[in-house]
Parts: sequence; structure tokens; C-alpha cells
Amino acid sequence: MISYVHLTTERIAAKLPFEKTTWMASGSKDRVELLQGTLDLIVLRALHTMGAQHAYALAARLEQVAEPSLRLNQGTLYPALVRLEQKGWIKGTWQRTESNREAKYYAITKAGVRGLEKQTERWRRLAGLVDKLLLNEG
Amino acid sequence: MTSVRRFILRLLNACRPGRAEPDLDRELKSHVGLLEDDFQRRGLSPEDARLAAKRAFGGVEHTKDRHRDARSFVWVDDIRHDVAYAVRAARRSPGFALVGVAIMALGIGANTAVFSVVNAILLNPLPYPNPERIVTLTTSVAGLETGPIRGQIADADFEDWRAQARSFDAMAYFFARATAVVVGDQAEYARVGRVSGAFFRVFGVQPSAGRWFDPEEIRPRPSAAVAIVTPAFAQRHFGGTVEAIGQTIRLANRSCVIVGVTPADFAFPEGTEIWAPLALPAVVRPPERGGLNFRAVGRLRAGFSLNQAQSEMAAIAKRLEQHYPDTNMGRRVLVTRLHDEIVGDVRLMLYVLLATVALVLLIACTNLATLLLARATARTQEMSIRAALGASRGRIVRQMLVEGLVQGCCSGVVGLALAFGGMKTLVALIPGNVPRLNEVAIDERVLLFTAIISVIASLLLALAPAFQAASVQLERGLRHGGTRSVGGRRTARAREGLVVVQVSLSVVLLAAGGLLIRSFIALQRVPLGFQPERVLAADATVATPDPRQPATLFFRDLLAGISNVPGVVAAGATMAAPGRVDSTGAYWIDHVPQASEMRTGALNVNSVVAPGTFTALGIPLVRGRDFDDRDVRDAPMTAIVNETLARRALPGQDIIGHKIVCAFDTIEPMTVVGVVGDVRQSGPADESRPECYMPYLQHFYNGATLSVVIRTATDPMSLAETVRRKARELAPNVPVKFTTLNALTGQNVAEPRFRALLIGAFAAIALVLAVIGVFGVMAYAVSQRTPEIGVRIALGATPSQILRLLFGRAIAMIGIGLAVGFAGAALTTRLLGSLLFAVKLTDPVTYVGVAALLATTSFVALYLPASRATRVDPLIALRQE
Repeated sequence: MISYVHLTTERIAAKLPFEKTTWMASGSKDRVELLQGTLDLIVLRALHTMGAQHAYALAARLEQVAEPSLRLNQGTLYPALVRLEQKGWIKGTWQRTESNREAKYYAITKAGVRGLEKQTERWRRLAGLVDKLLLNEG
Repeated sequence: MTSVRRFILRLLNACRPGRAEPDLDRELKSHVGLLEDDFQRRGLSPEDARLAAKRAFGGVEHTKDRHRDARSFVWVDDIRHDVAYAVRAARRSPGFALVGVAIMALGIGANTAVFSVVNAILLNPLPYPNPERIVTLTTSVAGLETGPIRGQIADADFEDWRAQARSFDAMAYFFARATAVVVGDQAEYARVGRVSGAFFRVFGVQPSAGRWFDPEEIRPRPSAAVAIVTPAFAQRHFGGTVEAIGQTIRLANRSCVIVGVTPADFAFPEGTEIWAPLALPAVVRPPERGGLNFRAVGRLRAGFSLNQAQSEMAAIAKRLEQHYPDTNMGRRVLVTRLHDEIVGDVRLMLYVLLATVALVLLIACTNLATLLLARATARTQEMSIRAALGASRGRIVRQMLVEGLVQGCCSGVVGLALAFGGMKTLVALIPGNVPRLNEVAIDERVLLFTAIISVIASLLLALAPAFQAASVQLERGLRHGGTRSVGGRRTARAREGLVVVQVSLSVVLLAAGGLLIRSFIALQRVPLGFQPERVLAADATVATPDPRQPATLFFRDLLAGISNVPGVVAAGATMAAPGRVDSTGAYWIDHVPQASEMRTGALNVNSVVAPGTFTALGIPLVRGRDFDDRDVRDAPMTAIVNETLARRALPGQDIIGHKIVCAFDTIEPMTVVGVVGDVRQSGPADESRPECYMPYLQHFYNGATLSVVIRTATDPMSLAETVRRKARELAPNVPVKFTTLNALTGQNVAEPRFRALLIGAFAAIALVLAVIGVFGVMAYAVSQRTPEIGVRIALGATPSQILRLLFGRAIAMIGIGLAVGFAGAALTTRLLGSLLFAVKLTDPVTYVGVAALLATTSFVALYLPASRATRVDPLIALRQE
């Protein structure tokens, strides 16, 4: 039974299309490491709920949500953004901000919405499995 | 889908690095700007806000790096950098790079050219469906393993094989020879194959136009005379394959309708242009078991192996031996794959050639590695700086390997271009009897081969410098300023080792080349028994062998017509000009053999000649008389034999006046009227065999195809037009083909000449490369030791002491190279064994010559730089320090 679960977990993990990324809270001993691929999911989810955003707004939003356990190095957003854009899940366009600065606004695409649904579902199953495993082991 | 899309985008980005950079810059700037705005809004001064924003954002460059990692493939980028660096390094010393590329390109080009030939002849399957199932069936009879009828079969045997063998889908027998073909009012020579019914079924090919023969047409008494031609023949005479169908050509004075055209790449037997049914309507005869006049092919049934077929045929041959002991005693049947049979002896020659060019490439690589090693020493400083700036050892090694690969790829491309030319030259040089030459081309397999050897050569090349670069010690490299020998003793050893390798490899090649050249010279020196200089040979075939038709007297009239042409010294005609023997048989003296004795006679070569032939060829008449007007049809049969036959047949007696019976076209006894000197009938490498000459007017069938031989006072070819005109006056339908006896005998030594020429040339290249290597090491040693030499001269050393100092190691190096090379040559030249003539593998002249050649050339290569060292000005030398 256990080994079956284990296999399933692996399969799901393997199917998660995200790269290895580790997002660390900078300068904190009590740091939270993001599991591989989760940053992409978080960004996608944020863009889905908030609409088109530029990278700074995204970073600010994530900081706001995660505060205080996660102080972000804002530059780490960029690899995730380019990955998602290359997959065709988000699209960036240059626009003006309210303060009249130019900024690249990322918006989720139709494919991105579908991807988000799928990945969210997978994440939930994975998280559920891990939870279950941890409970069983405990 | 999404991952594919991403992969492609990453790859695109890797190919165009920096394309995305401006956009990223703009985005990051805007990001930091927005941060600044925020901080200002929170009450910081613009200055503090800028600093705070930078801090909050983190490293901009680091972010760019991470972005690059995510958007493209970093390793592609790295390699691109390495390549760019390698190109820059090459540009800095273009001469060095060009020489390197040129040497390697020559090596790769030579290998590619030779491989393209090996590929076409040995590796490419024959252009027929399931070619591995096509086999030849040959008979082997003790005493007939060599010579013109080696492997030929008897048609009566074949009929039994076909009736009994189960291993074959189809079997056919055939023979092919050049004969006169008349198309319209044009007469020409063409190779005509006479084939039995299943011939084309054996090959499993379809005609490109028309059809194969009908069973009706292939019977002994066919309904119609038909022929099949090649597309080239059809194009030449009728303007197309379809147009040729239904046209008529004349073969053996009989009109044949063309019913089919072969596919373009069908060429069996090699060089055949026309195929006709075997059963000649004019010459219907029962199958014959004694004479071996045909060749046979078969297609193995699916699921039957060569071994199965072989054992079945062995059993059948055994049965035939019991049934027909008179003819079949000791006759074996061999089943051989057609490809192996076609390739035959050429295989060994091609492998030797391939090994030779591979060795040349190896020497070229070693040579360049020595140069690179010297340069790597000079680049120690550069490497040390890179290492100091954080390049890992692996990174530096990779850099060296990439430099090697860049050079290798350039050389590969240039080499391929050279190979096109080399291939054409090679095909032109290869003796004409080598099969499948028209198939030689640069195909995918050749390209792959070029790519692989380019990479291997690059790696070989880069290995030594890479190792050296990896072992660079930082502070030492930096401290020395990099211009002096930092690599120290180990590098010097490595360089000397590489020179030893070059010297020994070139010794191997020189020994092989030397043996082949000596063997060729020995062949040239063999007395042939005739004088091939200034003899014109005019091949002609009289269409009908019917003695009642005046055309058979064509040769008599032609000889009479040219005997008084100015410039003609002597003229004759022969069925088997030296080098063209095509009939052997048994003979008996003063005895007419019974059928049961047909196997018992000793073997001789049969020839049919006209009076005057011996004078024209320069064969001495030893005793008796030449043929003359007395030896005509209906006169008593006569013959002339050579000395070998006279000696073997009747040792110690005079053979003149005795009767000889030859298993040729008749078994009527002939009176021997003369004895002539021996000639080497199959070229200088073969001993003279017993030979019996018969007068052409008494042997009409075999006298219908003769070579008129004319000894001339000047250039023989200058008489060709006169002879052609006379021939045309006599018989417009008799085609005449001209050559010279020199060219004919040259064909007999074409292969040895080709081998000696090519391998000798490659050995010369190897020698030049090795000598350059020796020179390079010496020059380098001198440049490194200049200050030391300066000190020595300042302290009073004489030039001869300096020379001795410098020569010591170098001479040891060459000595070791020679010794290793001789050992290698002793091991490898054994492969040449069957290619050598009258030269032992241990031929002292060759080995001493090689040693002397290498010693003198190396000495010059050593002396030039060393003598410069003795003239070093101590002041200047010391100032360099």
C-alpha cells in the first residue's frame, strides 16, 4: 500500500512541469523553502485573481500575503516569469503605470488558465498525499 | 505541448544570446524605479530611496544570470563562448591556424577519398533485391585454381545441378565476351553476355523498359533472335530506353530484336552492354561436360544459408564424380556470395590503402599535437590568468577541447572539399579491372565517416595540450611571464614522445611503400619473352566464322594489305596477345586420347596465330619454322609450341616432327613444325606456361576474333588510321579497336603500380610530416635553451660541443623511433604478403634504405636549428633573460 502511494507521488511530482526552483526568505534563520515549481504556481494564481500585473506589483503582493515568514528577494521572480511566458501561459506587454512609469504587465492567457487548473489540481493531490503520508508515518 | 514550445524558445534564445537582454534591462530598470517611488512615498530622500530600492531588489546582475539560465540553455552559450574564444585565438596567430587546418584537412581528405572507394566497393550492398542471397557457383579442379578459366563450369554439370539442387530459387549460367555488334551501318565492340533462362530472375530486378526473355526465346532452337541492352546503349543508339524496344541489332551476323532494357545500375557481368540468349541458333550443340566454358550464378531460397547450399552442392558434385569419373574426378563446387566474388583480391588492396591513410592522419595529428603542445607552453600565462580569474580546471580543459574541435571541424569541411577531388583522382588511378568504380560517390555513410574521423582527430589533437593546461600551476605560470618552458620536463618528454610516435609510424609506412616499390621494380625487370615496345594491336572480330564466306579471309587480306605500308616492320595476328590468355586445355603427344582420358593430359595455353606474329611480337623462333602459306585449310594440321611445352612434353628430345593433340576446337593430331621462346602470358608475376600456337587458317571459329599485331618503326598509334581505312575497305562491318602492346602489358602491372605509387606517395607525406616534427622539437629546444647556450659560449664552449649537447637527446629520440618503427613494420608488413613479388618481407635493401632516408632527412632537420644555436651571441642571449 505504502509503495503504491509512493509511486503515485513520484509520478505526480514528475508530471509537475515546473523547474527546480528554491525560493528562500532572505536573511531569515527561520526560512521557508518553496518546493520546486511552486513559485510558478503562485505567480500564475496571483495573476489569475488580480489580473494583469507588473513584476513589482506581483512581488509586493506575494510579500504582503506571505509576510512575515517570507521576505523575498524580488529578482527571483524573473526566472519564473520567463518560464511561464515561454510556455505560453502568461503574456507580457509594456504599459504605463498610474505613476506614469513604463512597466511590463503580465496577464494570464487562456492556456495559462487551463494550466493553472491542472496544476492546482495536481498540487492539491500531491499535498494531500504528502499530508496523508506524514500522518500515517506519524 | 507547452514543454516543446518552451524547449524551442530556449533553443532559439541559446542561438541568439543577448536578444532578450535589452527588454530585460528595461524591465528591471522599471522595477527598481517603482521600488524607488514607493520608498520615496514612504518618506525617504531620493538618494536614500535609490539605495533602499537597490537593496530590496537584490543583485541585478545575478537576476540577469538567473533569467538567462531560465530562458536559454547555458551550456550552449558557454560552448559558443569557447568557440568564439577559439576563433579569436586562431585569428591571433592565423599562420599557425592555417597550417594546422591544412595539414589536418589533407589527412581527413585522403581518408575520406579512400573511404568513399571502400564504401562503394566493399560496404555498399549490390544494387539488387536481397543481394546477400545472390551467389556464384564455381568449380575447382586441381591445376586450374589460377588462370583464365579458374572457376568456370561445364554446362552439362549445370543442368544436373539445376535438376537436383533445392537451395536455390533460380540458377543461371552464362559467358561474356567482347564481340562485334552492328547497329544500322555502324559496327562497334561491345561486351555481350550470353545467358541462360533464369539469369535475370537470379538478380530479382525488373527491366526499365520492355521485358526479359520469354522461355520460347531461350530454347536451343528459339522462335526469334532477341537481345536486351543497357539504358546507356539504348540512349546512345536509339535516343532512349523506350525507343530501343523493337529495334534491331546484328550479333554474330544474325539480326536480334531488342525486347528489353536493363535497369540503370544493372551491370553483371561487369561491363556487359548486351545480353542475348545463350543458345546460339547457329551453334546448337549438346551440353558438354569436359570443357569448362561458363560461369554460374544462383539465388538462394529464402531461409537457406550459404552453408546449406554449399553442403548440398558438395553432395551433388560427389554424385556427379561417381557417375562421370572420366570428366568429373576431383571436381568440386564452391558457392560464394556474389559480392565477395566480385570484390575478390581488391579487398586486401583497399584495406591496405585505408590503413595507410589512417596512419598518415595519425601522424598529422601527432605532428599538430607537438606544435600545439609547444604553443600551449607559450600560452601558460594566459591559462594561469584564466585560472586566477576563477576558471575551473574542467573549464580550461573544455576550452582546449573546443579549440581542437573547432580546428577539426574546419579541417573536416576543407577535407571534404579535397576529398571530392581526391576521389576523382583515385578513381582515375585505380586499375580499370577494379569493380564497381562507377558507384564511387560521397554518400551519407562517407559524410558520417568524415564527421567521425574529424572529431576523433580533433580529440587526439587536443588531448595533450588539454592535459597540459589542466596541470598548469598558477603561481609558477604567472611568475614566469609565460614565455619560457614552464611545462618543464614533463612537457618536453611528451613532445619527444610524440616525435618518436611520428618517426616510428612513418618508418612503418616507408617500409611498406619501399617493399611495394621494390616489388614493382622487380616486376618491371622480369623478361617477358617478347618486346612490347612499338607494337600496335588492332582487335577485330569477323562476324561469321563460316569458312565459305570471304569475310573469314579478312585477316589474311588485311595482313597482306598492310605488309608494305611504310613504317610497318612486321605484322601478324593472334587470338591471345600476351596478357590476354583466354583458353587453356590439355594436350597429348603422339596420342589421340579416348573420352575416358580427357582429364589426363597436362595443361597448356591455346593460341591461334597468323604467320609473322612471332616476328611482330619479338618472340624468338628457337627451332624449326614459322607458319606460312603451307598452313592453310585442308593442308596437314600443324602447330608450334613454346620451349616450356617442348621441354616438359619430351625432355631431352626434339619435339619437331612429333604429333600434338590439344583439347581445343578439334582433337585432330597436329605436326609440330617449330619451337618458339616462352612468354609470360599473364603478366610478369606469373610463370610461363606451356603454350601451343595453331595457324589461323586451320581454326576458323577461333580465328574469327584476333588481334592484329604490327611492329612499327615509329609511334605505333600513328598507323592506326591507315589500318582502320584498310579494314573498312575490306569489310565495312568489322569493327576495329586499337591499343598498343605496351598498354596491354601495362594493364598486367596496373595494380602493383597503383599500390606502389599511392602507398609510396603517402609514405613520402608521412616522412615530410615526421621530419617537420623533428625540426619543430629541435627548434623549440634551441629557442628554450638559448640563454643557457649563451652562457656556455661565453664560458668558451666550441660549436661542436654545443651541437653535441643539443644532438644527444634528439638522436636517441630518432633511434628509438626507428627501432619501434622497424618492429611495427615487421609486424604489419606481413599483411602485404600476397601483394609482393620477388621481394622478401625482410628485404634488407628496403630496411637499410628506409633507415638511411630517415637518418639523413632527420639530420638535416636537426642540424638547421642546431647550427643556428652555435652562432648565438652570448650578450643578446643573456639579455633575453
